[in-house]
Amino acid sequence: MTAPVAGVAPAETPTLRRALVDRRGWIVVAAIVLVVSVGVAVLQGAGTGGGRPLGADNAAPAGGAAVANVLSAQGVQVVPVDSLDAAVTRADGATVLLVDDLGLLGSDRVDELADAARRIVVVAPTFAALEALAPGVRFGGLAAGPTDAPACDVPVAERAGSLGGVGDVLTVDDDALAAGWRGCFPDETGAVRVAFGPADGGPEVVVVAGTEVFANDTVAEAGNAALALGVLGSTERLVWYQPGAADASDAGPTIGELTPPWVSPVLLLLVVTTVAAAVWRGRRFGPLVVERLPVVVRACETTEGRGRLYARSDARGRSLDAMRIGALGRIAALVGLPGHAPAGDIADAAAALLGADPAAVRALLVGDPPADDGEFVRRARELDALEQRIADAVRAPGASADPTDRPRNR
Amino acid sequence: MAWSGRFALLVAAGVVPLVLLGGTPGAAWAVFAGWLALSLVAGVVDLVLAGSPRQVSLAREVPARVRLGEPAAGRLLVTNLGARRIRGVVRDGWEPSAGLAGDNRARLVVPAGERRAVPLAFVPTRRGERRARSVTVRSWGPLGLWARQSTMRHEGRLRVLPPFRSRRHLASRVARLRELEGNTPVMVRGAGTEFDSLREYVRGDDVRSIDWRATARRDAAMTGGGQRLMVRTWRPERDRRVVVVVDTGRTAAARVGDEPRLDTSIESSLLLAALASRAGDRVDLVAWDRRVRARVQSVTGPTLLSRMVDALAPVEAELIDTDWSAVPALVRQVTSQRSLVVLCTGIDTPAAARGMLGVLPALTSAHTVLVASVTDPSLGEARRDRGDREAAYLAGSAERALRDADRVAAAIRRLGGDVVQAPPEELPPALADRYLALKAAGRL
Repeated sequence: MTAPVAGVAPAETPTLRRALVDRRGWIVVAAIVLVVSVGVAVLQGAGTGGGRPLGADNAAPAGGAAVANVLSAQGVQVVPVDSLDAAVTRADGATVLLVDDLGLLGSDRVDELADAARRIVVVAPTFAALEALAPGVRFGGLAAGPTDAPACDVPVAERAGSLGGVGDVLTVDDDALAAGWRGCFPDETGAVRVAFGPADGGPEVVVVAGTEVFANDTVAEAGNAALALGVLGSTERLVWYQPGAADASDAGPTIGELTPPWVSPVLLLLVVTTVAAAVWRGRRFGPLVVERLPVVVRACETTEGRGRLYARSDARGRSLDAMRIGALGRIAALVGLPGHAPAGDIADAAAALLGADPAAVRALLVGDPPADDGEFVRRARELDALEQRIADAVRAPGASADPTDRPRNR
Repeated sequence: MAWSGRFALLVAAGVVPLVLLGGTPGAAWAVFAGWLALSLVAGVVDLVLAGSPRQVSLAREVPARVRLGEPAAGRLLVTNLGARRIRGVVRDGWEPSAGLAGDNRARLVVPAGERRAVPLAFVPTRRGERRARSVTVRSWGPLGLWARQSTMRHEGRLRVLPPFRSRRHLASRVARLRELEGNTPVMVRGAGTEFDSLREYVRGDDVRSIDWRATARRDAAMTGGGQRLMVRTWRPERDRRVVVVVDTGRTAAARVGDEPRLDTSIESSLLLAALASRAGDRVDLVAWDRRVRARVQSVTGPTLLSRMVDALAPVEAELIDTDWSAVPALVRQVTSQRSLVVLCTGIDTPAAARGMLGVLPALTSAHTVLVASVTDPSLGEARRDRGDREAAYLAGSAERALRDADRVAAAIRRLGGDVVQAPPEELPPALADRYLALKAAGRL
């Protein structure tokens, strides 16, 4: 049946162009989804304007854009910087707002910055900043109770009147007080939310314990705004300094700097290799071949099902009756009675053959239904044993045992 | 399209230039992008240079028939009609039960314009029509990186015949049949036996078959010879008809032991047909549930068996009740002569057998009816197992099932039919024996 070389076999695999045309609906849908999701991402990104807490251009609740914008409108030149060099360069004669939320600056660099500035406002100070600028001022945890009164003789604080919100506090020890430090807005325990440094020659130092005085969402509460504008707006230029990546080198080399530059590309290359290997192994060699399999039911399933049904409904009488009828039929054939002989006669014949008590055999073969499962199982076994004994008794005299009859080893 | 492990290795090999040249972050990323681009370009070039797997012509050389369980060899011929050599792998899409040997991934190199053969080795695992739907060719480029892959529709079929395992019983039954033949007048004169010939008496012949009249005539013709006794020889009747009706309905789907009842029915009917055709009887076969699934009619001689296996090969049991009321008409279509009608079915419960019992009188009035049914040996085992509560209940249920079958058998006998019941392995020889017994008794 060698077929002559026929034409090209009809291919089922679509060509690239065919596949694209067939799936153009999905391609269009995917393109729409892509465009929409990119658009949504762009719009959302513009709206939220993420950034660092208290950033000068951060309009988020934690940002500082409100204060920065008001100061700009009032004629103060706000200069956001993120490196120490830039901050020091611009600091001459200006107020420096130091928001070291990442804790990047060491005490010596804070000193360097303070030396360059006319006035330095430290918000949420780090330990290094306190050590450098305000020895004797320490962290005091959260304010215990409201801070309604300035309780100090600093004009800026007195103008503010009270501070809103609940914020961190500082403690000013006696040495610092003796050195001229003034704490304002004390809580019930005497810890203060703002500490003003001594006004003797060097730069003015203001330490504000928490960010809530300047943050967008809380700046409008109580006297927060007055204090913020008062401490920041006293000079023509405000250097809004948040230490950034450039200042981090001081903290020692990072893991990224320690590893060779090829590590990241190699990792990505391994990912690409994994994907390539997955495609290599996962590519199917042609479609699956479907086979119509016949329905096949096990013939004994109905019997087993009925057996379980008997067991579940405790049909002892019915089940034992079935066994009795079966046994009676076989015993009748063994003792030479017709199958339709009365059960009592068959039982008597069996008893006579075995020389057993006729009443007992009769009770076993045509007795009452068993009372419980134990009796049921016992009688079932006795029936089987009785049948076996009769078969043996019938076969024994003739001594012509059926050669195909194997000994039952149960 | 597909790519190889070699391509994955090529991508992974980019680690070497990355480590050697990636001294600075910029250089490292440049090397990374460059290597990926290089790999892709190599892959695409390889793909473009690969021979087209679409430009092939396919042909299969497969035996039309193979017996279940026996090996068969075939070939798949791939002709490259394209302009480039195809280096690749071929998969022939056969159904799993066609039993294609190996992993079905044949390596193949076909130069342009030439033809190559892929050997196929089958050991089918299931009876019936085994089909192939398509052929898949994956053609690699010269570098072995990327491949073009295409699946071509190319149908093929392999008819897997019933195994006829009961063949081994045939020789002994044919020998028994020879004994029935009139070569030796072992037969007593019976109603159905036919007079065959006269021959001289030899020692051992039955004295009752001496034909005194012929002896006298022969004595008159012979002169001077001694006394020569003539005996009549008899031979079993010939040219009787056997109609086998295989039930392919719901009961045939039941699996007894290792095979569905249908397969046992097929085995039984094949052995019976082989034996009956040797005995000179005509055998017709109908597979029926609600319509005729297979029919072999008016075939005699050696082609009968091959026609039967061929017809029965694709028959599967259907999950519907058999329409027994049409069976008498079906038999009448085959023959109006008195014949032996063998119904290969299952007898389980009186309720399920009601349809068959209903039409039996119509059949037994005109024919000799023999019902062949598979019994479940597991029932006998379950009946005797009374180990615990569950087993005892199951034993009761098995007793009930056996009694149900006995009642159906008794009903069939009352209606004038005869019953052969045996486990799957023993049913075909049992049916053959019953046929021989009927033949010996001259009841056909």
